Amino acid sequence: MLASIQRAGRAGFEVLRRPLSRAFEHDENPLNHLGALTIYLLWIVLISGIWLLIFFRTSVNGAFESVEYLTNQQWYLGGIMRSLHRYASDAVIITILVHIVKEFVFDRYRRNRWFNWITGIPLIWMIFPLGITGYWLVWDELAQYVAINSAELLDRIPIFTDSMAGNFLSDDLLSDRFFTLMAFLHLIGLPIFLVFGIWLHVFRLNGPRINPPKRMMAATLICMLVLSAVFPAVSHEKANLAMTPQMLKFDWYYLHVYPLVQKWSPGAVWLLLVGISSLIMIAPWLPPARKRPVAVVSLDNCNGCQRCVDDCAFCALQLLPRSDGQSYEHEAVVDEGLCISCGICVGACPTATPFRTRSELVPGIDLPERPAADIRAAIREVGETLDGGQRIMAFGCSGERSVKELRKAGAAVVEVACMGQLPPAFVDFVLSRNHADGVFLLGCEDGNCNYRHGAEWTEQRLARERDPRLRQRVSSDKIACAWQSPWCDSKNALAAYRRFGDTL
Amino acid sequence: MKVVGEILAYTVFAVVVGILSVWPRYELVADDRALISIAFVHAGDRVGECRKLTQEELNALPPNMRKPTECPRERHPLRVELRSGTELLYSDVLLPSGIWSDGKSNVYQRVVVAIGRHDLFVGMNDSGGEQGFDYEQSVTIDVVAGRNVVIRFDERNQRFDIR
Repeated sequence: MLASIQRAGRAGFEVLRRPLSRAFEHDENPLNHLGALTIYLLWIVLISGIWLLIFFRTSVNGAFESVEYLTNQQWYLGGIMRSLHRYASDAVIITILVHIVKEFVFDRYRRNRWFNWITGIPLIWMIFPLGITGYWLVWDELAQYVAINSAELLDRIPIFTDSMAGNFLSDDLLSDRFFTLMAFLHLIGLPIFLVFGIWLHVFRLNGPRINPPKRMMAATLICMLVLSAVFPAVSHEKANLAMTPQMLKFDWYYLHVYPLVQKWSPGAVWLLLVGISSLIMIAPWLPPARKRPVAVVSLDNCNGCQRCVDDCAFCALQLLPRSDGQSYEHEAVVDEGLCISCGICVGACPTATPFRTRSELVPGIDLPERPAADIRAAIREVGETLDGGQRIMAFGCSGERSVKELRKAGAAVVEVACMGQLPPAFVDFVLSRNHADGVFLLGCEDGNCNYRHGAEWTEQRLARERDPRLRQRVSSDKIACAWQSPWCDSKNALAAYRRFGDTL
Repeated sequence: MKVVGEILAYTVFAVVVGILSVWPRYELVADDRALISIAFVHAGDRVGECRKLTQEELNALPPNMRKPTECPRERHPLRVELRSGTELLYSDVLLPSGIWSDGKSNVYQRVVVAIGRHDLFVGMNDSGGEQGFDYEQSVTIDVVAGRNVVIRFDERNQRFDIR
C-alpha cells in the first residue's frame, strides 16, 4: 500500500521534475535545493519584516494605519517590502510542501532518517502561526476574520478559563496590549523557536546545505520583487467588529483550514490537524520498515585515518581512542542509530582496494549488504561476459529504475548501494586489469542523491580533488558519469551510455 | 534557451504564489445575511446551600481546617436559549469549567440570520431549573446586511446586553 503510494508519488514528482530539468542546469534546479530555498525565503521574510517593523505601531488604530502608510504613501519601498514579506511567506509553504512530498515519495524519512523527518513537523507548526499572526497584525477585515476564528480554535483547548473569542465582539473590548502580545509572538517568540527548530532539523546532517546557489538566490529574489511590484499586497477595509466581513481575498496558503472552523467545528479542525500531524509523526515507523545492516568496522584494517568520518553524510561515524592496542591513535566507530547503510564510508576507505591479493578483501569499514569483496567478484564475473565491440562496464545505484533498464538494454552492470560506495581504486582495477575498456557510472544527481553526497564525493574523487583519489595512470577519457534524478526515465542514461561507447 | 526556460519557470512560480494568495475569494456571509453573536462568561449558582458544621464535626477536623461552614463547590450548568420569533436560533446547556465543576460556564455562539426585523428573545437559567429562565430579555431589532449583533450578559447589572 505504502509502496504503491510512493510509486505513484514518484511518477507525479517526475511530471514536475521533467520540465524543470529542461529549464535548469541540475545545479540550479529548485527541486534539488528545496530545504535551502525555504531557508533563503525565510531570510527574505526576515529582512523585509525588519523594514515593516520600523514603521509598525502596536495599537488598535496604529496597526492598520501604519500598514496603510507603508502600502500607500511609501509604496516604492514599504509597499514593496510588505508584498515581498507576504509573497516570500507564501512561497515558503510551497517549498515546504514539495520538500515533504519529495522526501516521502523517495523514502528518505524512515529507518535512521526519522530524526530529520520528526524535527520538521514542529517547524510546520511554527510556520503557520507565524503567517497567521502576521495577518492578524494588519488589523483589517481579514485580520478580524483570522482573529475570531483563531480565538475560537484556541478556546477549544480546555486550558483557558475565559473565552478568548469573546474579546473580539466589539471594538471597546480590544486593547492595544493585545497587539503588543501579537507583535511579540510574530516578531520575537516564534522566530526564535523557528531558528532553533531549523538548527535541530539539520543537526544530524554532515554539511547541510542551508544556502541555495547564488544564481538561484538572485533569480528567486527578482521573481518575488517582480510579483510584488506587479501585484502589490493590499489590505482590506479596517476591521470593524460591529460588522462581519462578507467577502474576503483569502490567502489559502496559511488560512486553508479556517473555513472548516465554520463548516465543521473548532474541535473537528483540531482533530484533523492533530490527526494529520500524528500520522506524519508515526510515518517513519509504519510498515514495511525493513532494518538494514549498518556499516561494520574491521579494526585489523582500520588505521583511524578519518576519511570515512569526513564523508559520512549523516554523522554516523566518529573517531574514538583505539581499543585494540594497535599503534594507531584512533579507530572509526559506527553509530548504529545514525547509519543508513549507504556505503559512502566504504568508498572513502583507502583500504578498500581490489588489488589486494595476499589477504582477503576486507576494508577498514564495509557494508554487510554489499561488501567490497562482492563488488570485486561482480566486476570479474561481469568482465568475463564482455567480449569484442564496446567493452563498457557500468556501475549503478542499487534498485534504481534506470540501472535496471540499462541492464535490460544489454549493458554489463555492477550494482553498488550508492555510487559513493565505489572507491576510485575499483575503477582503476576495472581498466588496468582489462576487465573493460571503459567505465560508465550511473548515479543520482547531486541534490537528489538518496544518500546526499554520493554524486558529489564520487565526482571529486574521480577528479582527484578528494581522498581517496583516482590514480594518475587512469585516463579520464575512459570514464563517463551520468548523474540523473532517481526514478526518471532511462532514455538520457542510455543515450549517455551509447555516446560514451562511441567515444571509446 | 535555458534562460527562457528559467524565466518561464519562475514566472509560473510567481503566478502560483500570487494567485493562491488572494484567490478564490471566500464568502463568509451572503449579501442578505448577518450575524448574531452570543458570548459571555457566567457562573451558575452553587448546587447546594452552605451548611453550618456541628461542634462534633468541627472537633473531628484538624485544628487548621476548622471552618464553621461547609459550602459545596459545584455549580449548576447554564441553560441558554436564543430565539427569533418562534425560530430557535440557539439552545445549549453549558457545564461549569474546572475539574471540580466549580468554575464559570462559557457561552459562545455565532448564528447566521437573514437580514430584516427580528424579535429576539434570550433567556438563561443558572439555578438548575428545568423550566423557565432566571434571566431573560426580548428586543426587536432591524438587522442590516453584514451586521454583527452582539448579545452579552452584564454581570454588574445582572441583565442581558443586546447591541
